[in-house]
Amino acid sequence: MGVWQQAILAGLSLGSFYTLLGLGFSLIFGVTRAFNLAHGDFILLAGYLAFALWHFWHLPFYATIPIAMVILPLATLTLRWLLARLPEPFELNSLVVTFGLAIVLQNLFLAFFSADFRLIVLPIETVLSVPAWSLLVTANQALLLSGSLLATLVVYLFLYRTFVGKALRATIQNREGAALAGIRVERMQLLAFGVGGVLVGLAGPLMAVNMYLHPAGGLEPTLIAIILTIAAGVGRTGSLLWAGWLLGLAESCTALGIGSSWRELVTALVLLAILTWRSRGRINPELAS
Amino acid sequence: MRAKSASVIAQTCRSILPVVAAALLFFGPLLFPVAEVYLLVFGMACFYAALAMAWNILALSGLYSLGHGAFFGLGAYSAIIFQQQLAFPVYAAVLAGGLVGALYGLLWGVVLKNLRGAYFALATLAALEIPRVVADNWESLTSGSMGIVGISRLPALELGLISLPVGESMRGQYYFLLGWMVLTAVVHRQALKSRWGWALQAIRDNEVAAEVLGVNVYGCRLLALGVSALLTGIAGGLYGHLMGLIEPAMVFSLQMAAYPLVLSFFGGRFQVLGPMVGALVLYPLDQLVLQPWLPQGHAAVYGLVIIFTIFFFPRGITAWLQQRHTS
Repeated sequence: MGVWQQAILAGLSLGSFYTLLGLGFSLIFGVTRAFNLAHGDFILLAGYLAFALWHFWHLPFYATIPIAMVILPLATLTLRWLLARLPEPFELNSLVVTFGLAIVLQNLFLAFFSADFRLIVLPIETVLSVPAWSLLVTANQALLLSGSLLATLVVYLFLYRTFVGKALRATIQNREGAALAGIRVERMQLLAFGVGGVLVGLAGPLMAVNMYLHPAGGLEPTLIAIILTIAAGVGRTGSLLWAGWLLGLAESCTALGIGSSWRELVTALVLLAILTWRSRGRINPELAS
Repeated sequence: MRAKSASVIAQTCRSILPVVAAALLFFGPLLFPVAEVYLLVFGMACFYAALAMAWNILALSGLYSLGHGAFFGLGAYSAIIFQQQLAFPVYAAVLAGGLVGALYGLLWGVVLKNLRGAYFALATLAALEIPRVVADNWESLTSGSMGIVGISRLPALELGLISLPVGESMRGQYYFLLGWMVLTAVVHRQALKSRWGWALQAIRDNEVAAEVLGVNVYGCRLLALGVSALLTGIAGGLYGHLMGLIEPAMVFSLQMAAYPLVLSFFGGRFQVLGPMVGALVLYPLDQLVLQPWLPQGHAAVYGLVIIFTIFFFPRGITAWLQQRHTS
């Protein structure tokens, strides 16, 4: 006993983190309908930034989070600048350009940080111990859970309780309609890329303490963000959270049942299943391009 | 403003590129028979040109794959395993590896039948991950993430009276890879100029219209996918023997998926010789100029080139040179 409780806790904290990955991606996808294949590499960029600040300049880890959250929107806004100037056909070209961006970033990581696995090591402390359920919550897990859930809550409140957030959702749902209602679609796009960048900036350092950073490691978070966005729909925080938890639980149960190295297989199979179901109109038909 | 600066850049590139291309081809390996590195680099340029054309055969049907690394890796692993564990002759094992790649391609054809555009491309990314994870974990067969080392060099190729020492000399390897490129180029030409090629173009332009006109859309596409996967798989097997080692992160990589896409787009994916020109210009530039200067991360140039290609010459450089020629 104890193993399964621990796996469920790991799954939930992983799933909350996946929600954070998916949120940033889905905001950007929502306003542009562009699949950003460099999303995972942006998160790695934030992670490596935090690692460099922590390792070379000896900044405390908690100080690197706000720095990454301020710097990463610059990266996403650069992407928006590129995408806004893209020649037709948009769908194919946005895919190819973000793929190219991913290749560039991967090689930059390789040049600056080599192919070694990097990790920000925090002293592991148990924050909470529940002997009745034989459960141990480590500082890393608490950080991952609280950071991701807090960000999700803030984005939820922003999207559903503020006027600007509602305008942003309107833009996501129907660009022409929103423009007719007097919403400045351009500004909403800038806002979505900005908020997306802040979320990426938060996700990067969290990833750097919990999972190893590796130059080729950007694909996995990108695929996860795509899964959640297609499964849950764009800008729906609640569904994203459920989808994230489901995926997180599925992966941690696989890791427990077969072995942690098979975890990535779950991601790939789930993405394939979701894409083929979607093509039969079972999932989110309004996302059809 | 933007259009103006773009056209200025376009004009400069138009005048410089042919010169660069001509110079690179001119100072090609045959004029420097002593410089082994030229034979090596241009041989590999031919190899990547063939890889790019194999990828483009599917792209010509309107489906853009980001997962061709899957066929490449499957071909590489199957070829080596068939040879080492089932004692196949090397070239037979390489062909068998290609067939394994083609089988996986036909599986795509069945499972991803209804996917188009970006959704197809995303599915191929997932389809690349599956064999990679399996190769990483099935240690008894693939020795896991450590990879397989000490793979034999390619043996001499006997063609009737001629015997080509492929693995023995750089020159032999260069001729072999040149021949492989020409063979792929013939298939690539068929995918553009034959009846099948016209059918592919009709499908690419308007699938419904093609279907109405009596084109067997599914069949033509499946053939393109199968041929593309077969050639990519064979290339994977050859790669294992050329490099002497394979590991999952190397053959099932995004980089392997990126090479053919970048070279085809850059060279010109609607021209018979487009991907070939792309590879013969870009790969030597990368290996001879950038690699010594930036040993790790020099491949970033492929990402930069594809971004520039999309913005400034979306139909590739050969289409451009032709435009210049006719205007």
